[in-house]
Amino acid sequence: MPLTTNEAAQTLRDIARTERRSANAYGYRASSPHLILWGLIWAAGYSLSYARPQWGFVWPVLVSGGSIAGFWIGWRMRPVSKTGFDWRFAATFAAIVLFVIALFAVLPPHTDIQAGAFFPLLISLFYAISGIWMKANRLLALSVAIAALTLFGFFELPAQFELWMAVVGGGGLILGGIWLRSV
Amino acid sequence: MDLPNAIIHQPVRLKIMAALKPLPQGEPVEFVRLKAIVGATEGNLGAHIATLEDAGYVAVQKDFHANRPRTRVSMTTLGRRAFEDYVADLRSIIGAAGA
Repeated sequence: MPLTTNEAAQTLRDIARTERRSANAYGYRASSPHLILWGLIWAAGYSLSYARPQWGFVWPVLVSGGSIAGFWIGWRMRPVSKTGFDWRFAATFAAIVLFVIALFAVLPPHTDIQAGAFFPLLISLFYAISGIWMKANRLLALSVAIAALTLFGFFELPAQFELWMAVVGGGGLILGGIWLRSV
Repeated sequence: MDLPNAIIHQPVRLKIMAALKPLPQGEPVEFVRLKAIVGATEGNLGAHIATLEDAGYVAVQKDFHANRPRTRVSMTTLGRRAFEDYVADLRSIIGAAGA
């Protein structure tokens, strides 16, 4: 018996739903190790900023190491059909670095915790944009959690902000990464 | 119009193909993950994957990972084309009705 219009439309909706679910699961699996990596970096960086505020080299070293590790993870998890290096990853990373340099030149942070709050909020924005475009609710939830925890620490616990971000921010990212893997 | 591709036009096989379609070309997905996305039992899923494999629409790879047996499934080029044709057939049914 031939398909009716309604059956065809319903089948197309089912296909779209399953495709989105699969694409989200694939995206979550790809994001998970990066979240765990940066959770560890946040935990180490904010802990050291809190305990040894005079060690200004901590964040540049950790961020450089984390970026290299992030590229390595991305390379290892690249799709089987991708054989060459995708320059868009490096270009995106360079664009973000240049944006932050330009932003801080125009609007320099006046305190350490302003700079410490800026990057989590920037990451939260990336997760929000990804979640909206991919219709990925878990990324949206992570975005809201990162932003809310950062703002709470910034306004309510300014004296312990780094410690707060080390434990709650770093721990939250690690738990978030594990949560994404469970899909 | 007759039924579109009868191999794909079965609820579980349709979900398997829809789950594999958004992945990059040739990218495999683990059986357990596919089971979670499709929402089928292990035996049922295995049987339908075998049907799709016989048709040449999916490829099955079995290996050991971390000392555990692992089964991964990927969509073949033939399968991708068949699925795209299937979706086009569905769209043409809706389009023909709306014309």
